Amino acid sequence: MIIRVQPGLGIPIYLQIESQVKHAIAAGVLKLDDALPPVRRLATELRINPNTVARAYQNLERDGILRTVPGGGCYVNGQSPGLLKSEKLRRLKPLATQLAVEAKQLRLGREDLVQLLENSYDELNAKEPGEA
Amino acid sequence: MSDLAIETQSLHKHYGAVRAVDGLEMHVPRGSIYGFLGRNGAGKTTTIRMLAGLAHATGGQMRVLDLDPQINRIQVLERTGLVIEKMLLSSMTGDDLVRFNRGFFPRWSDTLARKYVEVLEIPMKRKFRKLSTGNQTKLCLLLALAQGAELLILDEPTAGLDPIIIDQLLRVLVDDFANEGRTLFLSSHHLSEVERIADWVGIIDRGKLLLEARLDDVRANFRSVCVVGEKLPVAGEGDVFRARIGEGTTEYVVRANAEAFTAHLRSQGATVLDVSAMNLQEIFVELVGKGEADVPMEVLA
Repeated sequence: MIIRVQPGLGIPIYLQIESQVKHAIAAGVLKLDDALPPVRRLATELRINPNTVARAYQNLERDGILRTVPGGGCYVNGQSPGLLKSEKLRRLKPLATQLAVEAKQLRLGREDLVQLLENSYDELNAKEPGEA
Repeated sequence: MSDLAIETQSLHKHYGAVRAVDGLEMHVPRGSIYGFLGRNGAGKTTTIRMLAGLAHATGGQMRVLDLDPQINRIQVLERTGLVIEKMLLSSMTGDDLVRFNRGFFPRWSDTLARKYVEVLEIPMKRKFRKLSTGNQTKLCLLLALAQGAELLILDEPTAGLDPIIIDQLLRVLVDDFANEGRTLFLSSHHLSEVERIADWVGIIDRGKLLLEARLDDVRANFRSVCVVGEKLPVAGEGDVFRARIGEGTTEYVVRANAEAFTAHLRSQGATVLDVSAMNLQEIFVELVGKGEADVPMEVLA
């Protein structure tokens, strides 16, 4: 898996790494028990401080997305994030608002927006080999 | 042991009436890659020379690796690698310099020195002054890295280097230095490299820090907000750093809580046209740039 960061984007680099890992898992590029690149190697490849990579991995581990084996690296975790549904919804709310705002500005109807979202969701599921 | 590799308190350096460093308050966390940014003449090199014990402060306090460089200069230099322009004896070759330097540093590693000769492709048989700028910088870096320093201070390390060499340097700095949890302090006005490698920034202007923050916090918090409306707030209110009134629209720079700020504007009947992120270059220009009649607040304060 290839992780890229854009330092000038106005999004914290640790968040850029987190969202790319989440995306790779959602798209089936990273599967259960796959190893992530070690902190040092990724930091060197990206030319960023290893502390920043470590922070991203720690956050993903906290959310149950990764697990760390002491001295043995970082792996994709089997369990879905152990969060309450209300918390999951709370996290997605800003993205939903942004999507709705953009759609409204483009004068895109409600049905079209829902359709678009359904398509994106189905595309991910098609790539995902029925995870338990 | 302090959590800070470098700390200064109301540090001053005056040359006659010129205040090159004017009450500098700086905090460099251990293990950070700290980008020390400023225009030419902002006080970067003067600060670095004081931290390295090469110049005396006119006033104020400094701690470098928990030591005062004015009192424990040798101990500081034993543990600190310096890459500063024109510090080496220019008639010596790379091999001479390695032989000369290794005696001074208890933690010197010949293995590392040999490794960098190879990795950085440094010609070691030529006199220092006959090397290209890039090779001079690489040789300085070799000496600093092989000495086993806990802290590396680099003054404009990428000046005059081509993009490939810069990338090589950044790679070595992250791979062999930052990965060991050691501290890297680099001054520059090449913002794109700093923006990539650094996780902390300090922006100095006229001898004072205008901003010191974790770079990821700067990315998350600084926003430019474009608004149309009447009776809009002015710069200095809350998190508003700057307000620029144009024809019909007002452009704000806020340093935090952009969402709350735009919500407030909307509640006052204003229309928010755009909220956009700012890169380091844009933030630097806003902080340091001399707009007409809109001097940054910190300078007025």
